[in-house]
Amino acid sequence: MTKAQGRLKMAGYANLPLGEISQCEVGNVGVLGVPSEVDSGLRSGASLAPDALRKMSKQLGIDLPVHGRDLGNLDLSGDWPEVLMQLVTQMVSCRVMPVVLGGALDVASAVLRALPDLPVVAALPLARRDLVQRPADTILLGLNGGQPADIWDQIIQRKIHWSTARQLDEGRANILEMPEHAVLWIDISVIDLGHAAGAVGLNPGGMKPETLVSIIGAMSCDWQAIVITGLAPACDTRGVSELASIEVLNAALRHG
Amino acid sequence: MGDAAQIQFDTIPSFLGVPVGDLEDLVPGRIAIAGYFCDNLDHPAAGQRYLARQLRYVSGFGNAPANSIDVGDVNVFPLEPNKHFPAVTSQCQAVLETGARMVLVGGDSSGLKALATAANKATGADITVVSVTKDIVSALPKTQPIILSVDLDKLAAKWVSHPRHLVGLSPAEMVAQIEITRGNVVAAAIFGLAPELDNRGRTETCAALAILQAVTERLNKGAG
Repeated sequence: MTKAQGRLKMAGYANLPLGEISQCEVGNVGVLGVPSEVDSGLRSGASLAPDALRKMSKQLGIDLPVHGRDLGNLDLSGDWPEVLMQLVTQMVSCRVMPVVLGGALDVASAVLRALPDLPVVAALPLARRDLVQRPADTILLGLNGGQPADIWDQIIQRKIHWSTARQLDEGRANILEMPEHAVLWIDISVIDLGHAAGAVGLNPGGMKPETLVSIIGAMSCDWQAIVITGLAPACDTRGVSELASIEVLNAALRHG
Repeated sequence: MGDAAQIQFDTIPSFLGVPVGDLEDLVPGRIAIAGYFCDNLDHPAAGQRYLARQLRYVSGFGNAPANSIDVGDVNVFPLEPNKHFPAVTSQCQAVLETGARMVLVGGDSSGLKALATAANKATGADITVVSVTKDIVSALPKTQPIILSVDLDKLAAKWVSHPRHLVGLSPAEMVAQIEITRGNVVAAAIFGLAPELDNRGRTETCAALAILQAVTERLNKGAG
Protein backbone atom coordinates (compact mmCIF):
# COMPACT_ATOMS: atom_id res chain seq x y z
CA MET A 1 0.00 0.00 0.00
CA THR A 2 1.37 3.43 -0.91
CA LYS A 3 1.51 6.27 1.60
CA ALA A 4 -1.25 8.09 -0.28
CA GLN A 5 -3.49 5.02 -0.16
CA GLY A 6 -2.74 4.65 3.52
CA ARG A 7 -3.77 8.24 4.20
CA LEU A 8 -6.95 7.74 2.20
CA LYS A 9 -7.85 4.70 4.24
CA MET A 10 -7.19 6.51 7.50
CA ALA A 11 -9.02 9.73 6.67
CA GLY A 12 -12.53 10.22 8.02
CA TYR A 13 -15.53 12.15 6.74
CA ALA A 14 -14.49 14.77 4.17
CA ASN A 15 -10.82 14.01 4.76
CA LEU A 16 -10.98 14.98 8.43
CA PRO A 17 -8.38 13.17 10.50
CA LEU A 18 -9.70 10.46 12.76
CA GLY A 19 -9.41 11.41 16.39
CA GLU A 20 -11.04 12.01 19.74
CA ILE A 21 -12.89 14.90 21.33
CA SER A 22 -9.82 15.79 23.39
CA GLN A 23 -7.94 16.48 20.14
CA CYS A 24 -10.55 18.98 18.94
CA GLU A 25 -9.97 22.69 19.38
CA VAL A 26 -12.50 25.42 20.05
CA GLY A 27 -14.50 26.07 16.89
CA ASN A 28 -13.79 22.64 15.45
CA VAL A 29 -16.38 20.10 14.44
CA GLY A 30 -16.54 16.57 15.82
CA VAL A 31 -18.11 14.22 13.30
CA LEU A 32 -19.69 11.23 14.98
CA GLY A 33 -21.42 8.35 13.18
CA VAL A 34 -24.34 6.73 14.97
CA PRO A 35 -25.38 3.78 12.82
CA SER A 36 -28.72 2.97 14.41
CA GLU A 37 -31.32 1.18 12.32
CA VAL A 38 -35.04 1.73 11.84
CA ASP A 39 -37.03 -0.84 13.78
CA SER A 40 -39.97 -1.18 11.42
CA GLY A 41 -40.99 -0.70 7.82
CA LEU A 42 -39.67 -2.02 4.56
CA ARG A 43 -37.13 0.69 3.94
CA SER A 44 -34.18 0.06 6.17
CA GLY A 45 -30.48 0.70 5.77
CA ALA A 46 -30.03 3.84 7.87
CA SER A 47 -27.22 2.08 9.71
CA LEU A 48 -25.17 2.16 6.49
CA ALA A 49 -25.39 5.94 6.23
CA PRO A 50 -22.39 7.15 8.27
CA ASP A 51 -19.89 5.01 6.39
CA ALA A 52 -21.60 5.67 3.04
CA LEU A 53 -21.25 9.42 3.66
CA ARG A 54 -17.59 9.02 4.54
CA LYS A 55 -17.00 6.99 1.39
CA MET A 56 -18.80 9.41 -0.92
CA SER A 57 -17.16 12.49 0.61
CA LYS A 58 -13.83 10.84 -0.16
CA GLN A 59 -14.83 9.94 -3.71
CA LEU A 60 -15.93 13.50 -4.39
CA GLY A 61 -12.87 15.01 -2.76
CA ILE A 62 -15.10 17.16 -0.53
CA ASP A 63 -13.40 19.27 2.10
CA LEU A 64 -15.29 20.84 4.98
CA PRO A 65 -15.06 24.61 5.43
CA VAL A 66 -14.04 24.03 9.06
CA HIS A 67 -11.41 21.96 10.84
CA GLY A 68 -12.13 19.13 13.19
CA ARG A 69 -11.96 15.42 13.77
CA ASP A 70 -13.91 12.40 12.71
CA LEU A 71 -14.68 10.60 15.95
CA GLY A 72 -15.67 7.35 14.25
CA ASN A 73 -18.90 5.46 14.90
CA LEU A 74 -20.60 5.09 18.24
CA ASP A 75 -20.75 1.58 19.67
CA LEU A 76 -24.45 0.78 19.78
CA SER A 77 -24.27 -1.90 22.42
CA GLY A 78 -25.77 -0.92 25.77
CA ASP A 79 -27.50 2.38 26.48
CA TRP A 80 -26.12 4.21 23.46
CA PRO A 81 -28.60 7.14 23.53
CA GLU A 82 -27.30 8.04 26.98
CA VAL A 83 -23.69 7.79 25.76
CA LEU A 84 -24.55 9.91 22.73
CA MET A 85 -26.17 12.56 24.94
CA GLN A 86 -23.04 12.69 27.10
CA LEU A 87 -20.76 13.02 24.08
CA VAL A 88 -22.90 15.80 22.57
CA THR A 89 -23.01 17.67 25.88
CA GLN A 90 -19.26 17.29 26.28
CA MET A 91 -18.55 18.63 22.80
CA VAL A 92 -20.88 21.60 23.13
CA SER A 93 -19.40 22.51 26.51
CA CYS A 94 -15.93 22.49 24.86
CA ARG A 95 -17.31 24.67 22.04
CA VAL A 96 -16.82 21.86 19.55
CA MET A 97 -19.75 21.49 17.18
CA PRO A 98 -21.13 17.95 17.10
CA VAL A 99 -21.99 16.78 13.60
CA VAL A 100 -23.90 13.58 14.14
CA LEU A 101 -24.43 11.29 11.18
CA GLY A 102 -27.34 8.92 11.86
CA GLY A 103 -28.85 6.54 11.81
CA ALA A 104 -32.54 6.54 12.41
CA LEU A 105 -34.72 9.19 14.04
CA ASP A 106 -33.77 8.01 17.53
CA VAL A 107 -30.34 9.55 16.96
CA ALA A 108 -31.88 13.02 16.62
CA SER A 109 -34.05 12.43 19.66
CA ALA A 110 -30.98 11.76 21.78
CA VAL A 111 -29.17 14.84 20.42
CA LEU A 112 -32.18 17.06 21.13
CA ARG A 113 -32.53 15.65 24.65
CA ALA A 114 -28.87 16.50 25.25
CA LEU A 115 -29.53 20.14 24.33
CA PRO A 116 -32.99 20.75 25.80
CA ASP A 117 -32.88 24.54 25.97
CA LEU A 118 -31.77 25.30 22.45
CA PRO A 119 -34.10 26.17 19.58
CA VAL A 120 -34.27 23.62 16.78
CA VAL A 121 -34.44 24.09 13.04
CA ALA A 122 -35.70 20.80 11.69
CA ALA A 123 -36.18 19.79 8.07
CA LEU A 124 -38.45 16.78 8.18
CA PRO A 125 -41.75 15.66 6.69
CA LEU A 126 -43.52 14.76 9.93
CA ALA A 127 -43.01 16.65 13.17
CA ARG A 128 -42.46 14.51 16.22
CA ARG A 129 -44.22 15.03 19.52
CA ASP A 130 -40.97 15.61 21.42
CA LEU A 131 -40.03 18.29 18.90
CA VAL A 132 -43.19 20.37 19.11
CA GLN A 133 -43.14 20.17 22.91
CA ARG A 134 -39.73 21.80 23.25
CA PRO A 135 -39.70 25.06 25.20
CA ALA A 136 -37.58 27.09 22.82
CA ASP A 137 -38.60 28.40 19.40
CA THR A 138 -38.71 25.71 16.77
CA ILE A 139 -38.70 26.07 13.00
CA LEU A 140 -40.07 23.19 10.94
CA LEU A 141 -39.19 22.99 7.26
CA GLY A 142 -40.73 20.78 4.60
CA LEU A 143 -43.74 19.46 6.52
CA ASN A 144 -46.27 17.44 4.59
CA GLY A 145 -49.96 17.02 5.29
CA GLY A 146 -49.63 13.74 7.11
CA GLN A 147 -49.29 15.17 10.63
CA PRO A 148 -51.50 13.67 13.31
CA ALA A 149 -54.21 16.12 14.43
CA ASP A 150 -52.81 16.57 17.92
CA ILE A 151 -49.41 17.51 16.52
CA TRP A 152 -51.04 20.09 14.24
CA ASP A 153 -52.87 21.49 17.23
CA GLN A 154 -49.64 21.87 19.15
CA ILE A 155 -47.86 23.43 16.18
CA ILE A 156 -50.63 26.02 15.91
CA GLN A 157 -51.08 26.63 19.63
CA ARG A 158 -47.38 27.11 20.23
CA LYS A 159 -47.03 29.34 17.16
CA ILE A 160 -44.25 27.22 15.75
CA HIS A 161 -42.95 28.54 12.48
CA TRP A 162 -43.51 25.93 9.79
CA SER A 163 -43.48 25.69 6.03
CA THR A 164 -44.30 22.99 3.54
CA ALA A 165 -41.95 21.57 0.96
CA ARG A 166 -44.02 23.15 -1.77
CA GLN A 167 -43.83 26.60 -0.21
CA LEU A 168 -40.07 26.28 0.05
CA ASP A 169 -39.65 24.95 -3.49
CA GLU A 170 -41.72 27.82 -4.84
CA GLY A 171 -39.90 30.40 -2.74
CA ARG A 172 -43.08 31.32 -0.89
CA ALA A 173 -41.84 30.71 2.65
CA ASN A 174 -40.52 33.58 4.69
CA ILE A 175 -38.46 32.70 7.70
CA LEU A 176 -38.55 36.03 9.41
CA GLU A 177 -36.83 35.36 12.69
CA MET A 178 -33.91 33.01 12.89
CA PRO A 179 -32.62 32.13 16.35
CA GLU A 180 -29.09 33.19 17.05
CA HIS A 181 -28.08 29.71 18.19
CA ALA A 182 -29.86 26.49 17.34
CA VAL A 183 -29.60 22.80 16.65
CA LEU A 184 -30.01 21.82 13.02
CA TRP A 185 -31.75 18.53 12.28
CA ILE A 186 -31.99 17.30 8.73
CA ASP A 187 -34.06 14.20 8.14
CA ILE A 188 -33.35 13.12 4.59
CA SER A 189 -36.95 11.92 4.21
CA VAL A 190 -37.81 15.60 3.73
CA ILE A 191 -36.52 15.27 0.17
CA ASP A 192 -38.95 14.20 -2.53
CA LEU A 193 -38.72 10.52 -3.36
CA GLY A 194 -38.56 11.30 -7.07
CA HIS A 195 -35.41 13.36 -6.63
CA ALA A 196 -33.57 11.23 -4.13
CA ALA A 197 -34.82 7.81 -3.18
CA GLY A 198 -32.33 7.02 -0.43
CA ALA A 199 -34.47 7.77 2.58
CA VAL A 200 -36.16 5.53 5.13
CA GLY A 201 -39.41 7.47 4.74
CA LEU A 202 -41.30 7.75 1.48
CA ASN A 203 -42.16 11.36 0.81
CA PRO A 204 -43.67 11.88 -2.65
CA GLY A 205 -44.49 15.52 -1.92
CA GLY A 206 -41.11 16.40 -0.55
CA MET A 207 -38.59 19.09 -1.21
CA LYS A 208 -36.09 19.27 -4.05
CA PRO A 209 -32.57 18.56 -2.82
CA GLU A 210 -31.33 21.83 -4.32
CA THR A 211 -33.98 23.71 -2.34
CA LEU A 212 -32.92 22.07 0.90
CA VAL A 213 -29.28 23.03 0.31
CA SER A 214 -30.20 26.54 -0.67
CA ILE A 215 -32.57 27.13 2.30
CA ILE A 216 -30.11 25.82 4.87
CA GLY A 217 -27.22 27.64 3.21
CA ALA A 218 -29.11 30.92 3.44
CA MET A 219 -29.74 30.59 7.18
CA SER A 220 -27.48 32.72 9.25
CA CYS A 221 -27.37 30.90 12.54
CA ASP A 222 -24.66 29.77 14.88
CA TRP A 223 -25.40 26.06 14.79
CA GLN A 224 -24.61 24.38 18.09
CA ALA A 225 -25.06 20.89 16.71
CA ILE A 226 -26.06 19.32 13.43
CA VAL A 227 -27.69 15.93 13.08
CA ILE A 228 -28.59 14.08 9.90
CA THR A 229 -30.97 11.13 10.01
CA GLY A 230 -33.07 8.97 7.76
CA LEU A 231 -30.54 8.38 4.99
CA ALA A 232 -30.77 4.90 3.50
CA PRO A 233 -28.00 4.89 0.93
CA ALA A 234 -28.72 1.44 -0.47
CA CYS A 235 -32.13 2.66 -1.69
CA ASP A 236 -30.52 5.24 -3.98
CA THR A 237 -28.18 3.72 -6.54
CA ARG A 238 -27.37 7.14 -8.01
CA GLY A 239 -26.15 8.51 -4.71
CA VAL A 240 -28.19 11.73 -4.92
CA SER A 241 -29.43 11.32 -1.32
CA GLU A 242 -25.86 11.06 -0.03
CA LEU A 243 -24.83 13.96 -2.22
CA ALA A 244 -27.70 16.05 -0.84
CA SER A 245 -26.67 15.18 2.73
CA ILE A 246 -23.08 16.17 2.06
CA GLU A 247 -23.99 19.42 0.28
CA VAL A 248 -26.50 20.49 2.93
CA LEU A 249 -23.99 19.80 5.66
CA ASN A 250 -21.36 21.84 3.86
CA ALA A 251 -23.85 24.66 3.27
CA ALA A 252 -24.73 24.74 6.97
CA LEU A 253 -21.10 24.76 8.03
CA ARG A 254 -20.19 27.43 5.50
CA HIS A 255 -22.85 29.91 6.50
CA GLY A 256 -23.69 28.89 10.04
CA MET B 1 -10.89 6.01 -48.52
CA GLY B 2 -12.39 3.95 -51.34
CA ASP B 3 -16.02 2.88 -51.56
CA ALA B 4 -15.20 -0.77 -50.86
CA ALA B 5 -13.33 0.12 -47.71
CA GLN B 6 -16.08 2.53 -46.67
CA ILE B 7 -18.71 -0.20 -46.97
CA GLN B 8 -16.71 -2.34 -44.54
CA PHE B 9 -16.80 0.43 -41.98
CA ASP B 10 -20.51 1.16 -42.35
CA THR B 11 -21.41 -1.35 -39.66
CA ILE B 12 -19.02 0.14 -37.12
CA PRO B 13 -20.73 2.55 -34.73
CA SER B 14 -19.41 6.06 -35.20
CA PHE B 15 -20.07 9.41 -33.56
CA LEU B 16 -23.46 10.72 -34.74
CA GLY B 17 -23.43 8.03 -37.43
CA VAL B 18 -20.98 9.99 -39.55
CA PRO B 19 -18.66 8.20 -41.98
CA VAL B 20 -15.47 6.69 -40.65
CA GLY B 21 -12.33 8.20 -42.09
CA ASP B 22 -8.67 8.86 -41.65
CA LEU B 23 -6.16 11.66 -41.79
CA GLU B 24 -6.01 11.43 -45.58
CA ASP B 25 -9.72 12.22 -45.78
CA LEU B 26 -9.36 15.55 -44.02
CA VAL B 27 -9.46 18.78 -45.96
CA PRO B 28 -10.04 22.36 -44.87
CA GLY B 29 -13.56 22.83 -43.56
CA ARG B 30 -14.12 19.20 -42.58
CA ILE B 31 -14.83 18.28 -39.00
CA ALA B 32 -12.85 15.44 -37.45
CA ILE B 33 -14.33 13.77 -34.40
CA ALA B 34 -11.93 11.67 -32.32
CA GLY B 35 -12.26 9.65 -29.13
CA TYR B 36 -9.99 10.19 -26.15
CA PHE B 37 -9.65 7.24 -23.78
CA CYS B 38 -7.73 8.64 -20.84
CA ASP B 39 -9.22 9.59 -17.47
CA ASN B 40 -6.43 9.43 -14.93
CA LEU B 41 -4.35 12.54 -15.55
CA ASP B 42 -6.33 15.71 -14.89
CA HIS B 43 -9.37 15.80 -12.56
CA PRO B 44 -9.36 12.04 -12.76
CA ALA B 45 -12.55 10.05 -12.34
CA ALA B 46 -12.73 6.45 -13.38
CA GLY B 47 -15.07 5.76 -16.27
CA GLN B 48 -14.75 9.08 -18.10
CA ARG B 49 -12.69 7.28 -20.72
CA TYR B 50 -15.77 5.33 -21.88
CA LEU B 51 -17.76 8.35 -23.01
CA ALA B 52 -16.54 8.04 -26.60
CA ARG B 53 -17.50 4.38 -26.70
CA GLN B 54 -20.98 4.99 -25.26
CA LEU B 55 -21.63 7.89 -27.62
CA ARG B 56 -20.77 5.73 -30.61
CA TYR B 57 -23.07 2.98 -29.33
CA VAL B 58 -26.08 5.27 -29.00
CA SER B 59 -25.46 7.23 -32.19
CA GLY B 60 -27.92 6.68 -34.97
CA PHE B 61 -27.81 8.37 -38.32
CA GLY B 62 -28.61 11.82 -37.13
CA ASN B 63 -28.35 15.30 -38.45
CA ALA B 64 -24.62 15.77 -38.14
CA PRO B 65 -23.07 18.13 -40.65
CA ALA B 66 -22.33 16.19 -43.83
CA ASN B 67 -18.67 17.12 -43.78
CA SER B 68 -18.00 15.42 -40.43
CA ILE B 69 -16.00 12.24 -40.11
CA ASP B 70 -15.08 9.94 -37.25
CA VAL B 71 -11.31 9.57 -37.32
CA GLY B 72 -11.17 6.95 -34.57
CA ASP B 73 -9.35 7.40 -31.30
CA VAL B 74 -6.13 9.21 -30.55
CA ASN B 75 -3.41 6.96 -29.17
CA VAL B 76 -2.94 7.48 -25.46
CA PHE B 77 -0.35 6.44 -22.91
CA PRO B 78 -2.12 7.03 -19.59
CA LEU B 79 0.58 5.32 -17.55
CA GLU B 80 3.35 7.36 -19.18
CA PRO B 81 2.33 11.03 -18.91
CA ASN B 82 5.65 12.23 -20.29
CA LYS B 83 5.02 10.26 -23.44
CA HIS B 84 1.26 10.83 -23.44
CA PHE B 85 1.00 14.59 -23.85
CA PRO B 86 3.46 14.92 -26.75
CA ALA B 87 1.78 11.98 -28.49
CA VAL B 88 -1.76 13.35 -28.14
CA THR B 89 -0.61 16.86 -29.03
CA SER B 90 1.12 15.71 -32.21
CA GLN B 91 -1.90 13.68 -33.33
CA CYS B 92 -4.27 16.62 -32.77
CA GLN B 93 -1.79 18.91 -34.49
CA ALA B 94 -1.68 16.59 -37.52
CA VAL B 95 -5.46 16.77 -37.77
CA LEU B 96 -5.62 20.55 -37.39
CA GLU B 97 -2.79 21.14 -39.88
CA THR B 98 -4.99 19.68 -42.61
CA GLY B 99 -7.27 22.70 -42.10
CA ALA B 100 -9.99 20.54 -40.56
CA ARG B 101 -11.68 21.45 -37.29
CA MET B 102 -11.55 18.91 -34.51
CA VAL B 103 -13.70 17.59 -31.66
CA LEU B 104 -12.00 15.50 -28.99
CA VAL B 105 -14.56 13.37 -27.15
CA GLY B 106 -14.32 11.74 -23.74
CA GLY B 107 -11.81 11.26 -20.99
CA ASP B 108 -10.73 13.88 -18.51
CA SER B 109 -9.66 17.47 -19.07
CA SER B 110 -6.11 16.45 -19.98
CA GLY B 111 -7.31 16.06 -23.58
CA LEU B 112 -8.29 19.73 -23.66
CA LYS B 113 -4.78 20.74 -22.62
CA ALA B 114 -3.17 18.69 -25.37
CA LEU B 115 -5.70 20.00 -27.89
CA ALA B 116 -5.01 23.61 -26.92
CA THR B 117 -1.27 23.10 -27.33
CA ALA B 118 -1.84 21.44 -30.69
CA ALA B 119 -4.11 24.22 -31.91
CA ASN B 120 -1.58 26.87 -30.96
CA LYS B 121 1.13 25.02 -32.84
CA ALA B 122 -0.99 24.19 -35.87
CA THR B 123 -2.46 27.64 -36.40
CA GLY B 124 0.31 29.80 -35.00
CA ALA B 125 -2.47 31.92 -33.53
CA ASP B 126 -3.22 32.81 -29.96
CA ILE B 127 -6.08 30.45 -29.26
CA THR B 128 -8.53 31.23 -26.46
CA VAL B 129 -10.15 28.40 -24.55
CA VAL B 130 -13.79 29.23 -23.84
CA SER B 131 -15.59 27.16 -21.23
CA VAL B 132 -19.28 26.50 -21.64
CA THR B 133 -20.87 27.88 -18.48
CA LYS B 134 -24.26 29.28 -17.57
CA ASP B 135 -23.42 32.79 -18.62
CA ILE B 136 -20.71 32.96 -21.20
CA VAL B 137 -19.78 36.58 -21.25
CA SER B 138 -17.66 36.99 -24.30
CA ALA B 139 -16.64 40.12 -26.08
CA LEU B 140 -14.46 38.17 -28.47
CA PRO B 141 -14.41 39.22 -32.10
CA LYS B 142 -15.98 36.76 -34.51
CA THR B 143 -12.63 35.96 -36.05
CA GLN B 144 -10.85 35.14 -32.80
CA PRO B 145 -9.84 31.47 -32.93
CA ILE B 146 -11.22 29.63 -29.94
CA ILE B 147 -11.44 26.16 -28.49
CA LEU B 148 -14.71 25.23 -26.83
CA SER B 149 -14.29 23.46 -23.52
CA VAL B 150 -17.42 21.45 -22.77
CA ASP B 151 -17.11 19.99 -19.29
CA LEU B 152 -20.04 17.61 -18.82
CA ASP B 153 -19.32 17.55 -15.08
CA LYS B 154 -21.18 20.87 -15.08
CA LEU B 155 -24.47 19.08 -15.80
CA ALA B 156 -26.93 19.15 -12.89
CA ALA B 157 -27.36 16.02 -10.77
CA LYS B 158 -30.67 15.05 -12.30
CA TRP B 159 -29.08 14.52 -15.71
CA VAL B 160 -26.37 12.06 -14.74
CA SER B 161 -26.19 8.58 -13.23
CA HIS B 162 -23.54 9.30 -10.64
CA PRO B 163 -23.63 13.02 -9.87
CA ARG B 164 -20.85 14.88 -8.12
CA HIS B 165 -22.91 17.97 -7.29
CA LEU B 166 -26.60 18.87 -7.19
CA VAL B 167 -26.76 22.14 -9.04
CA GLY B 168 -25.64 22.64 -12.60
CA LEU B 169 -26.67 23.19 -16.19
CA SER B 170 -29.28 21.31 -18.14
CA PRO B 171 -28.28 19.86 -21.52
CA ALA B 172 -30.56 22.43 -23.20
CA GLU B 173 -28.73 25.27 -21.43
CA MET B 174 -25.39 23.84 -22.55
CA VAL B 175 -26.58 23.55 -26.14
CA ALA B 176 -27.89 27.13 -26.05
CA GLN B 177 -24.58 28.42 -24.70
CA ILE B 178 -22.63 26.50 -27.35
CA GLU B 179 -24.77 28.03 -30.08
CA ILE B 180 -24.26 31.61 -28.92
CA THR B 181 -20.55 31.43 -28.18
CA ARG B 182 -18.75 34.07 -30.16
CA GLY B 183 -15.49 33.46 -32.00
CA ASN B 184 -14.04 31.22 -34.66
CA VAL B 185 -14.32 27.73 -33.17
CA VAL B 186 -11.40 25.70 -34.50
CA ALA B 187 -11.67 22.82 -32.05
CA ALA B 188 -13.65 21.55 -29.08
CA ALA B 189 -13.21 19.09 -26.26
CA ILE B 190 -16.13 17.30 -24.61
CA PHE B 191 -15.13 15.57 -21.41
CA GLY B 192 -15.84 15.05 -17.72
CA LEU B 193 -18.64 12.47 -17.81
CA ALA B 194 -18.35 8.87 -16.65
CA PRO B 195 -21.38 7.39 -18.38
CA GLU B 196 -23.36 4.42 -17.21
CA LEU B 197 -22.06 1.45 -19.18
CA ASP B 198 -25.18 0.02 -20.72
CA ASN B 199 -26.13 -0.86 -24.26
CA ARG B 200 -28.97 1.56 -24.83
CA GLY B 201 -27.83 4.94 -23.61
CA ARG B 202 -29.09 6.47 -20.41
CA THR B 203 -30.24 10.04 -20.15
CA GLU B 204 -26.71 11.30 -19.66
CA THR B 205 -25.40 9.63 -22.82
CA CYS B 206 -28.32 10.94 -24.86
CA ALA B 207 -27.70 14.39 -23.38
CA ALA B 208 -24.02 14.15 -24.25
CA LEU B 209 -24.93 13.11 -27.78
CA ALA B 210 -27.15 16.17 -28.21
CA ILE B 211 -24.31 18.32 -26.93
CA LEU B 212 -21.85 16.67 -29.34
CA GLN B 213 -24.27 17.41 -32.17
CA ALA B 214 -24.49 21.06 -31.11
CA VAL B 215 -20.70 21.30 -30.91
CA THR B 216 -20.33 19.77 -34.36
CA GLU B 217 -22.83 22.22 -35.80
CA ARG B 218 -21.06 25.11 -34.10
CA LEU B 219 -17.75 23.98 -35.56
CA ASN B 220 -19.36 23.74 -38.97
CA LYS B 221 -20.46 27.34 -38.59
CA GLY B 222 -16.88 28.33 -37.83
CA ALA B 223 -16.67 32.04 -37.17
CA GLY B 224 -19.79 33.40 -35.56
